[in-house]
Amino acid sequence: MPIVEARGLTKVFRRPDKGSGLAGSVKHLFARRYSDKVAVDHVDLSIEAGEAVAYVGPNGAGKSTTVKLLSGILVPTAGEVRIDGLHPQRDRTTVAYRIGVLFGQRTQLWWDLPVSESLAVLRDIYGVDHATYRKRLARFDEVLELGEILPVIGRKLSLGQRMRADLAAALIHGPQVVYLDEPTIGLDLAVKDRVREFFRSLRDEGVTVMLTSHDLADIEGFCRRLVIIDEGRIIFDGDLEAVKDQFARERILHVETERPVPLETLEASLPGAEIKIEETSLRYAVRFDRFAMTAGQVVTVLATLTELVDFRVDEPSIEDVIRRVYSGDLVLPR
Amino acid sequence: MRGYRALARATARAALTYRFSLLLGMGAVLVQLVALLAVWRVILEQSPVNGFTWPQMRAYLLVAFAAGTVVSILGDFRMAFRILDGDVALDLVKPVDYQKARFAEALGGLWIEVLLIAAVVGVTLAVTGGVDLPAGRALALFAASMLLLVPLKFLIVYVSTLACFWTQNYMGVQWARLAVVNLLSGALIPLVYLPHWLATVAQWSPFAGLTSTPALIFLGRVHGPEALLLVAVQLGWVLALWFGARLVWRAALRRLTVNGG
Repeated sequence: MPIVEARGLTKVFRRPDKGSGLAGSVKHLFARRYSDKVAVDHVDLSIEAGEAVAYVGPNGAGKSTTVKLLSGILVPTAGEVRIDGLHPQRDRTTVAYRIGVLFGQRTQLWWDLPVSESLAVLRDIYGVDHATYRKRLARFDEVLELGEILPVIGRKLSLGQRMRADLAAALIHGPQVVYLDEPTIGLDLAVKDRVREFFRSLRDEGVTVMLTSHDLADIEGFCRRLVIIDEGRIIFDGDLEAVKDQFARERILHVETERPVPLETLEASLPGAEIKIEETSLRYAVRFDRFAMTAGQVVTVLATLTELVDFRVDEPSIEDVIRRVYSGDLVLPR
Repeated sequence: MRGYRALARATARAALTYRFSLLLGMGAVLVQLVALLAVWRVILEQSPVNGFTWPQMRAYLLVAFAAGTVVSILGDFRMAFRILDGDVALDLVKPVDYQKARFAEALGGLWIEVLLIAAVVGVTLAVTGGVDLPAGRALALFAASMLLLVPLKFLIVYVSTLACFWTQNYMGVQWARLAVVNLLSGALIPLVYLPHWLATVAQWSPFAGLTSTPALIFLGRVHGPEALLLVAVQLGWVLALWFGARLVWRAALRRLTVNGG
């Protein structure tokens, strides 16, 4: 049985339609008009225990709203959610023990208390025993270097420190399902790396993770499954590597040659590849389909024409693929 | 229970980090108390009005001050801001009942308020002379009424703060509440000074239980079955509001819109 299941999940927000300027606002006082915005539109999703799922989409696509529906924060307009077979609104407190939620832009720390006390309050709220609590803190300290920020008052934390503390706060009760919504937003590279390493350790322990992020580097090497949402609808749900194999099949070979070679000669000897001259006449970029020819074949052919000084192969990242999906250049099969 | 106790403690600790603003807030209430004492002293110096003598009014104002200070310094602003910011989202994924958790937070600050009340009442009595304590049964009823005041006041503040789900603004809600509470609870002037129809409405409203009921019992202006009835009305409102607030909360959740992460 899937641990997270959504069927026909829909959320419609009602927004006031105000005309522009003061006149519009005054008019709205007397004649209220609203328009409906469908934030999440018939989303079906089922996640097995232990899966790591990347949930991506452009701004305003409905990612955060989905996470809030799946964690029982928002009441769906239609459709339903089950977490481990439970109803997240009706069984709110039971479900709360099983899920951990991190919103990168929000904090659940007490602003006026040291981090250690915020965590202790959460420990008591979740009824975590002291031995387990110490064990978990020690583990967080290992990866997130939590120790140094425990005595710091909430409002005095830097963004990176706050995020590390909030991660600990979201996971202090050892949840089975974790929703991470923009967990690396605004962090510097060193902290990002540390946080990503922490995610991998979570996954390796068998925790179910749903990760929402703008930074697609967060998902590479972490999630096996990719779900793309756009305008509230899921437009792709499948294996991340398969998408890469299928849609990131293009490779670019950058070569530097000893002597200039005429473009026509190159094109004639590499049919099907697209060749461009880069900064100098000695540097070329060869774009080819890796299923039509291998990088080795391209290099061999070029080597017969002239001596090669240097070469390197560029592999497109999942980021490129998803960017093309967002812009509508690429339509992924469902 | 452990979670609620932790919340209560955390709130008290957080409040104590703002000792200065806590004292300033108390100072403001104190100035109001002194002003009211001065005004009533002049008014009642010659002869009683509506049956209130000066010593009685002094006792009334002290009870009103105590009642006004209980469950007043903590909580509602934090709750309102969390609703308005959308941080309430994180309160919703905790394995605690939202209403009970907020009540625990209100109780967490109670001992600080009781200490402040004891200090102010002590000083005032030392300066202006003692008051007569009610005897036996009346004293027990007064204590019961003061105890009921705690959940009653919490619930009135809580329900009005839930209005933030609809209004998207807290100042207006708070001002409206303060205006209604000050008038209908008898905190500003005893209810007998109001027009008869308004006094009757106030009497049966939940607001009378915030000041008028404990003060009148303390003064002995109501006693026996009548006093018992007033305390019963308080209890009735506590129960009605406790369950009513749950309905409001359920409706509020349907309204909840949390934008951004």
